[in-house]
Amino acid sequence: MRTNFYNEMYTAEQSVRAHYAAFADWLQSRPAGWLEQKRGEADALFHRLGITFAVYGEEQGTERLIPFDIVPRVLTAAEWATLAQGLEQRVRALNAFIGDVYGAQRILAEGIVPADVILTNAQFRPEMLGVRVPGNTYTHIAGIDIVRAGAGEFYVLEDNLRVPSGVSYMLEDRRMMMRLFPDLFSIYSVAPVEHYPELLLDNLRSVAPAGINDPTVVLLTPGRFNSAYFEHAFLAQQMGIELVEGQDLFVRDDYVYMRTTRGPQRVDVIYRRIDDDFLDPLAFRADSALGVPGLLTAYRAGHVNITNAVGTGIADDKSIYPYVPEMIEFYLSERPILNNVPTWILRRDADRDYVLANLKDLVVKEVHGAGGYGMLIGPASSKAQIEEFRARIIAHPERYIAQPTLALSACPTFVQQGLAPRHIDLRPFVLSGREVRIVPGGLTRVALPEGSLVVNSSQGGGTKDTWVLEA
Amino acid sequence: MRLQIQHRTTYRYTSPASYSIQLLKLTPRREGTQRALWWRLGTPGRCVEQLDAFGNQSHLLTLEGAHDEVVLSVDGVVETDDAFDGRLPVEQGLSPLVFLTPTPLTGSSSAIEALARRVFDGAAVDETVARRLMQCVTEAVRFSPGTTTVTDSAIDVIARGQGVCQDQTHVAIAACRSAGVPARYVSGYLLSEDANPAMHAWMDLWSQAEGCWLSCDVTQRALAGASLVRLAVGRDYLDACPVRGMRRGGGSEELEVRVAVHEATDTAVESMRSRQIQAGQQ
Repeated sequence: MRTNFYNEMYTAEQSVRAHYAAFADWLQSRPAGWLEQKRGEADALFHRLGITFAVYGEEQGTERLIPFDIVPRVLTAAEWATLAQGLEQRVRALNAFIGDVYGAQRILAEGIVPADVILTNAQFRPEMLGVRVPGNTYTHIAGIDIVRAGAGEFYVLEDNLRVPSGVSYMLEDRRMMMRLFPDLFSIYSVAPVEHYPELLLDNLRSVAPAGINDPTVVLLTPGRFNSAYFEHAFLAQQMGIELVEGQDLFVRDDYVYMRTTRGPQRVDVIYRRIDDDFLDPLAFRADSALGVPGLLTAYRAGHVNITNAVGTGIADDKSIYPYVPEMIEFYLSERPILNNVPTWILRRDADRDYVLANLKDLVVKEVHGAGGYGMLIGPASSKAQIEEFRARIIAHPERYIAQPTLALSACPTFVQQGLAPRHIDLRPFVLSGREVRIVPGGLTRVALPEGSLVVNSSQGGGTKDTWVLEA
Repeated sequence: MRLQIQHRTTYRYTSPASYSIQLLKLTPRREGTQRALWWRLGTPGRCVEQLDAFGNQSHLLTLEGAHDEVVLSVDGVVETDDAFDGRLPVEQGLSPLVFLTPTPLTGSSSAIEALARRVFDGAAVDETVARRLMQCVTEAVRFSPGTTTVTDSAIDVIARGQGVCQDQTHVAIAACRSAGVPARYVSGYLLSEDANPAMHAWMDLWSQAEGCWLSCDVTQRALAGASLVRLAVGRDYLDACPVRGMRRGGGSEELEVRVAVHEATDTAVESMRSRQIQAGQQ
């Protein structure tokens, strides 16, 4: 068995880790064939509930069932305590960064982040300069992707600050586990997650424009053809708010209204699940039929709040990621609790020299991800591919960053041959408004093909329930 | 110089529209080289005013209830500095770097990069380079009225080899950006004795050497002067265009634009002023 990665359940000596011991005993005492039967039940239930999320994340894909794995991913109370502190710290710093970039630009003046990295970035929205947002909050919902490489070794892989998705899997996976294995929840004291929609609604209400006591909150979806439409409908229903499309809203003067059977109703907070580019055809992409014409004017006038704020993409761009630890020190005067993956910035001479000499061992990523050339995974690439990438880096070093290949941790997962370790990550959802709140855990994604490190559902990824044990 | 401007835009719909919304950039920019002595923007519905991201005075017009036309009228007199030689006074606000990022309308192609190489030889960007840019762009894209739809990108335009002022302007901007020189789009009016004058478009390019924007009327192959009135600037046409709108219903649309720009006589200015006083008394 491969042991060059951290197994969440077993030590290198193949003994069960303490927090998985009761689960292992429970599993041992099940009759033969029982797990297969339960997995069949889970599949049937997901089909019946209609949870056929097309895709996880922002990619496009066809509608299908995302495989749900019945072995939970378990985090101890102590592990979570550190993660939660680190997540809150990171999101506070990212939020301060966005406010600064669209405000005084202190971090640019201090030379901590080069001005051109921000000001020439396609994700930088001049429309947001000088705009005051309620509570100075930009990243109301953040999905921070975390991987583990060793015992206490958690790394932030990326920050998703635009329209992070996947939280409905977190909720449905928990429901499924409680339904299939109620006895496990009497053996383990697992921190609840089902209040997430309540926290989310509180959070959205807390960032209404000043003076609005009982705000009207809506969820703006691109519509039923969007891959995450199920999640939009699910969250709106759970929060008891209207699920609207762009055509259900309109602007009069510089206020936003919703068409209702009782006439126009003013809207105060829009939880949008569409990208900036599509929000307002009078301000951004003129061909967008998904947005609300005039919305940006109403937003800039302070008459409606948009969550997440417009322009948060400047903080989760790959070219900005390497600077997050410095942001934490700059804005919070704290040491970062969570690690960044070590990253070489190829616009820097020394970094570039090192990377060009070690391409076969590294992962090279294009910073403006949509670019089409994607990434180079050194250890998995041919000499010719590496040379081709080398030429691209030399031509435009500022377009690339590089990282070491990480040994992602693995968790036992139910596959064809029985239980076998498969690589996983974790996406906790961090809510920021009047305060920062995180439901314990998040969504664990699992790469189902053996040896695969790609957890995206479009490429064979599944999900697991994530347990944070109560101390 | 004092320029008298009359500009009337009429949208006619083949069937009634139930809702129209238009973002208007039809008010002269407050800049050191020009001031509006009198300016009136007439619209059929309610308007709210906002300074946009690029310092343009914008108006958001919303119209509800059945309507089959929208008429926008502009009347005014703007005084421009006779000494203006294309060098814009340094302003506070947006960094020129913001105007370095290509947009869908100002992307680059090998033809644009080749043009940029002919213009920018690595030397400091100054008036000579600006003039060479205008020369090269107008040779690569011949002025030819009526050859464009507003959404043509610089890449399409240079491939076609002809276009109107906004097309030539987009190509010039794309060339600048591909060479690492910030450039922005300008929309406005031009003093013209043309029988059918239209709105005009030109561009500003950033001269690091001079520490200021150099305003270039690409189509006229000349640095901008007192005969131009600046309404709006932006990364491309879409940021700066005079009217950007959407409507519900209305069928198809017919657009009529009438522009007249004359040098204002003292009598005209006086008459404007008295109309302004009367308007103020009503």
